[in-house]
Amino acid sequence: MEIKAKLKDFICSTLGVEPDVLEYDTELFSEDPINLDSVDSLEIISFVDGEYGVDMTGVGKEHFVSIDTIAAYIEENK
Amino acid sequence: MTKNSERCVITGLGMISAVGDNVKECWESVLASRSGIEHTTTVDTENCYSDYAAEVRSKGWDNIPGTEGMDRVSKLCIKAVDEAMKDSGLDDFRGDSRVSVIMGSCVGGVVSAEEYYTKEKRKELIPQMPISAIASQAAAWCHAGGAVTNVANACAAGTISIAYAADLIRAGKADIVVAGGADAFASVPYAGFTSLHALDANPCSPFNHLSGITLGEGAGALIVESYEHAVERGARIYCEVLGSGVTSDAHHITAPRPDGECQMNAIRTAIESSGLTEADIGYVNAHGTGTAKNDEAEFLSLHTIFDGKNGDLSVSSTKAMTGHCLGAAGAVEAVFAVKALTGNTVPPTLGFSKEDLVKLKERAGDIDFCPNFPKEKELKTVMSNSFAFGGNNASIVFSKEQGGVKPVKNSRGAAITGLGIVTPAGCGKESYLELCGKDMKAGDAVCSEVSKEQYDELGLKMSFYRKLDRFSQLQCVSGMYALKDGGYEITGENAPQTGIIVGTSEGALSPVCDFEMLIAEKGNANGSAFKFPNTVYNAAGGYLSICSGIKGYNVTATNGAQSGLFSAAYALDVIRAGKQKAMLATGTDENNEIMRELFGGLGLASEEPVMPYSGKDKFTLSDGSTALLLEDIDSASERGAKVYAYLTGSGSACCGVPFGTLSGSEKALETAVMEAIDDALLARDDIGAVIGFANGHKAVDAIEEEALKNLFGERANTLPVISVKDKLGEGRAASAALGAAHAALMISGDIKEQEYYTAGGKQTGKLETSGLDNILVISYGSGGSYCAAVISREDKQ
Repeated sequence: MEIKAKLKDFICSTLGVEPDVLEYDTELFSEDPINLDSVDSLEIISFVDGEYGVDMTGVGKEHFVSIDTIAAYIEENK
Repeated sequence: MTKNSERCVITGLGMISAVGDNVKECWESVLASRSGIEHTTTVDTENCYSDYAAEVRSKGWDNIPGTEGMDRVSKLCIKAVDEAMKDSGLDDFRGDSRVSVIMGSCVGGVVSAEEYYTKEKRKELIPQMPISAIASQAAAWCHAGGAVTNVANACAAGTISIAYAADLIRAGKADIVVAGGADAFASVPYAGFTSLHALDANPCSPFNHLSGITLGEGAGALIVESYEHAVERGARIYCEVLGSGVTSDAHHITAPRPDGECQMNAIRTAIESSGLTEADIGYVNAHGTGTAKNDEAEFLSLHTIFDGKNGDLSVSSTKAMTGHCLGAAGAVEAVFAVKALTGNTVPPTLGFSKEDLVKLKERAGDIDFCPNFPKEKELKTVMSNSFAFGGNNASIVFSKEQGGVKPVKNSRGAAITGLGIVTPAGCGKESYLELCGKDMKAGDAVCSEVSKEQYDELGLKMSFYRKLDRFSQLQCVSGMYALKDGGYEITGENAPQTGIIVGTSEGALSPVCDFEMLIAEKGNANGSAFKFPNTVYNAAGGYLSICSGIKGYNVTATNGAQSGLFSAAYALDVIRAGKQKAMLATGTDENNEIMRELFGGLGLASEEPVMPYSGKDKFTLSDGSTALLLEDIDSASERGAKVYAYLTGSGSACCGVPFGTLSGSEKALETAVMEAIDDALLARDDIGAVIGFANGHKAVDAIEEEALKNLFGERANTLPVISVKDKLGEGRAASAALGAAHAALMISGDIKEQEYYTAGGKQTGKLETSGLDNILVISYGSGGSYCAAVISREDKQ
């Protein structure tokens, strides 16, 4: 499965996000419709580390904007 | 000045923590600036970034007769209770119904849960897991016979317990309350806080480095007593318990409001209800966990409230010595606050280097944070603050002086103006009324489900409800339905005047077990930050505060199935005391694979449908959530609310039998019923029907039958006894609260005809509800705790 699809699958199955509102460019941390917070970001960091061996601890907010930006960071750093 | 009849005092202290096995040792450690934080060796720390903990490391402390087989948390609790009772000159309470036990806890019997999932699935471990066990076992151990419950409000639980103790005494419902809190260090909290990156990699450093907490463990117990009772028995009095404040943030499940609004409301309420001003507080034992979010919010709150009004305030966090003892924290810190007051010594906040002291000066302003060393100071009045996951805030005031606590005696009832009902048969009041007319039997549906349909109807967005575990889902939906049904809109004005009491038997035990299974498989370094917040029992009440906007009182009470009715009794006391205008009182429990395994392991959950009064040794496990909106009668009338009925009285009593059993405790049910009838200013003959608690398990059913026969004599042969479990099974707290809602629906005429049994299920019949003026609702809790309430057509006052 490609990175973006895996990220989407993870965000929906683990963080309770409904698939129909989550596109690859949807802003994850904006208030509507998803509103991820710092607790959710810990889960994403843990998933990315476990799945791709990429440590996103302390990485700038601009890389957590959407599935697109997280996937781009993983591609660049794996 | 507080009238003698309203005065509550502390007459005994007990504690155990990493810095000592008793009050004397702990206080000596405080005076010596000794920390109990060390590297832990008791949990798996592989790949974890922090291995510090403040554990009780001494040997032999747990050798207390009568506690064999109990979880570590109950042993810690009883160790502190034993010391406090001896300190107060109290012996065995011999079933005295004027003695209550209120204990706080965050994680309950997680040591037993860990053993169950990592070593052997012994059935003896199962009753030790829920928080319910703690106060129940402590009450059975000292034979207290009054109201018994646990306050499960995470890190604010200990403080709320003491506040509630004083409220119970001022409401005239107890003479003595053994209050406090207990929690044990274990893998669940350790892995949980690790997953949240909330642990400090070094020993915690409150109001200083702000890089996280260090977990501790222990227990604190205080004998809270009516002044007149204490004087009569010649007890030594440490100090007065004055006012308190309990609020909720309506903000976030783990993070406090950065603007400190509701923390400040709690602190201000505590000061005002004490009849004092900011200038009167000499010392604050702060929450001071060492996390940036908590301590920054607390700096802000303390400066906003006290700057310019109190130029001689001392503040410290004792967590740098004891670690964060979670549900025990407020109790341990209350003991320290009382010792500080009576010993005229401010405990230190440890951990400041020379450089740190320079930074502290900038942050502290006029407040003395008492860095590194204790300080002698003449103290008259002190405060202890606790803030918790779920957005709960609690503040309490202790004083050498009488203060100005206002009288609260008020025997009026509360109007029931809204109902929210979630059952396995559907969601909402209309769905329940439909079910009442159907031919349905226990076992036909046993798991409640909420869906997008309800969230949409209630205006709850996915960005909110995606976080909820199932227990919280049920709770939020029933609570929001009750507000909607009552036409009660939360506004900026009424949000602080509205509160929540969640009652639950097993609470968040399923998320706890789920989390335990996760870390048992993957190690403590691999817990889930998403799941961990839902392991605290008050998460559901916290989420309800967030989605409704309610900012007042917020307590999660847990002591068996009766908790669902106890919540209403508690809410009635809060309204009568004038603390809130309206309260949501709920009962919620879930049925899932984990619950079926645990109840099945105890041999209690039947795979075949079981009807009440069928003489089996099992019952049909079910679930749900019921919420009642209770309002101050004048407030309800002012806004023209539709009133279903009035909650006019309540009573609680306990006859300690081994936790997990009931037999031999029926006298406590009779005591609870008589208290409730008296409280409603009624007589036994005024009761027209009873909502019972029989579930088909012969031991449960026998208690109900025996007590009704003893209470009502010959009349018991004809007195209608109504079951909400014959259609829906044993939903525990959900059923208990549903009983009260069902009674309200009968009084209001929404249910016009009702099928009934007589005591013991001997006969059945059908009655017209229009002739009913007062309905008695009863419920039971494992370990022999009972609650009774009266639902009436009119409020007698």
